[in-house]
Amino acid sequence: MIAARAPIDAVPAYYPGCSLDGLGSPYEVSARQVLARLGLSVDRIVDFNCCGATEVKSLSGDVAVALPARNLALAQSMGRHQVVAACNGCVYSLARANHAVNDRGTRQRVNELLNRGGAPSYDGGVSVQHLLPFVYERAGPDRVRAAVRHPLTGVTVAPYYGCLYTRPKSYTGAGKLPGTDNPEFPHFLDELLAACGANVVRDFSAKTLCCGGGHALSDLKVSVAFCASILDEARRAGADIVATICPLGQVNIENHFERVRDQYGEELLRPVAYFTQLMSLAFGSTLREARLGNNFTRPDRFFRSRGYS
Amino acid sequence: MPIAERSLVEVDRLEHLELDGVDVSGDWNTFLKPRVVTDIDSRIVEWVKRQPFGETISQCWQCGTCTASCCMHTDYGMPEFNPRRFIYLAQVGDEKELRLHAEEIWRCISCNKCVERCPKGVKVEEVVHAIGSYLRATGQAPESPADRFDRAFTDNLLRRGVLDEAALFRAYERGEGRTTPFRDLLRTGLRLFTSGRLRTGPLANRTRGWRRMRSVLRAKLDADEAGSTPALPSKTPNTGGTR
Repeated sequence: MIAARAPIDAVPAYYPGCSLDGLGSPYEVSARQVLARLGLSVDRIVDFNCCGATEVKSLSGDVAVALPARNLALAQSMGRHQVVAACNGCVYSLARANHAVNDRGTRQRVNELLNRGGAPSYDGGVSVQHLLPFVYERAGPDRVRAAVRHPLTGVTVAPYYGCLYTRPKSYTGAGKLPGTDNPEFPHFLDELLAACGANVVRDFSAKTLCCGGGHALSDLKVSVAFCASILDEARRAGADIVATICPLGQVNIENHFERVRDQYGEELLRPVAYFTQLMSLAFGSTLREARLGNNFTRPDRFFRSRGYS
Repeated sequence: MPIAERSLVEVDRLEHLELDGVDVSGDWNTFLKPRVVTDIDSRIVEWVKRQPFGETISQCWQCGTCTASCCMHTDYGMPEFNPRRFIYLAQVGDEKELRLHAEEIWRCISCNKCVERCPKGVKVEEVVHAIGSYLRATGQAPESPADRFDRAFTDNLLRRGVLDEAALFRAYERGEGRTTPFRDLLRTGLRLFTSGRLRTGPLANRTRGWRRMRSVLRAKLDADEAGSTPALPSKTPNTGGTR
């Protein structure tokens, strides 16, 4: 069922997705700092397009495959066999497109759309990896530990992976292919943050809980409830801060922060930051360089109180 | 599905029964009369199978792993949201019962835990969305807020190739008749703008050379939308004998 892994590129293509150029720009900036410090490089896909997330597929099955397939085709025309994406939603729809083009009928219809629109064809063959497993596989906890200058000692972090990081494994190959995390008990983030000196919450029960981001605006009640559960689990586990790996999860919690406070209580609130911001801070960046003050949940205030500058 | 039809139970077997001198009376020896279901309406399943990954519905063996994993059912705590049951109702063609769930089906949040865990490889999330789209296409469910968001999202991304997040937020809120107080908008907008997180309007990102792709994809979306309202014949009434 799951295709064997495509060859690994020394420098894979990098698909930022819409968020990293907009609301998620602190993620992009800090990710670049982390990759540079670890000596890893990626090659950004120029003129990429939106992957369609989970929204487009309810309007047109073929368009929902064509959108991510165009980006994979661009990576292929750059001579790459591997795409690294930083957003869970992007990883999902790129991997789903890979799965969908296995079907000959779908592949022909999608390629016709791509060619008519001026893009190269895509027949599969480009593997998709999330930024987190990419860092874990290429650098690993040991190299991270060696790069740390300002360890996050005494900071208790709840590692939040979110829903589409590995799911579903039939698309991502999670737990089966090398360089993929365990779909039920992911641990890459735990290990990387521990290597940064942080005290990582063990068995954080909301690790792979959905944040409700798919219906962030269209089903407020549900979406706010999920954000509250994540923050509440972090509170129960005694976490000072929640680390995220997905701009949708981060922005959704930011967007609902005040609603959570009003509906569920102030004691739930925790600052939320991208894992790359925390790693960058541990690697010696200042709070400003790691853009921690740009998050609405203000992790900078927390770190300042712990003596970071 | 528990069998609720008393008429199928052979009541005379419920009476006192003794085997080898041991009293074994009780419910366990309730026997059912054999029955043949002839009026299954297969149109919902046919529809689902035409949607992407919808053909996996026929692999379902009704174990309920999807429902037990479902974040709407279990974590959010909405017991009426039951993907296993939606699939069952679709398979037996019980439109009447599915219609009662129109308010729930659209709430699937696409977390994909069901797809992850299904032991039979059913793409449950896609199948549930396909069942919802059947109800809408046949006029049995109104357009949901999620449908309107999907439309706003798609329109937004088609314009430039990538999303203009702030414009999407404003367009969707306006469509729903919700208004965020201007002061809040200004406050949030300013914070985002000064931190470099707001790329909207003239500053919005765009994909070069997107215009050609846009017209191709727009035409495909319009064609798919036109094709998604099949002229369904008025169905023979479902007698409920399938349950």
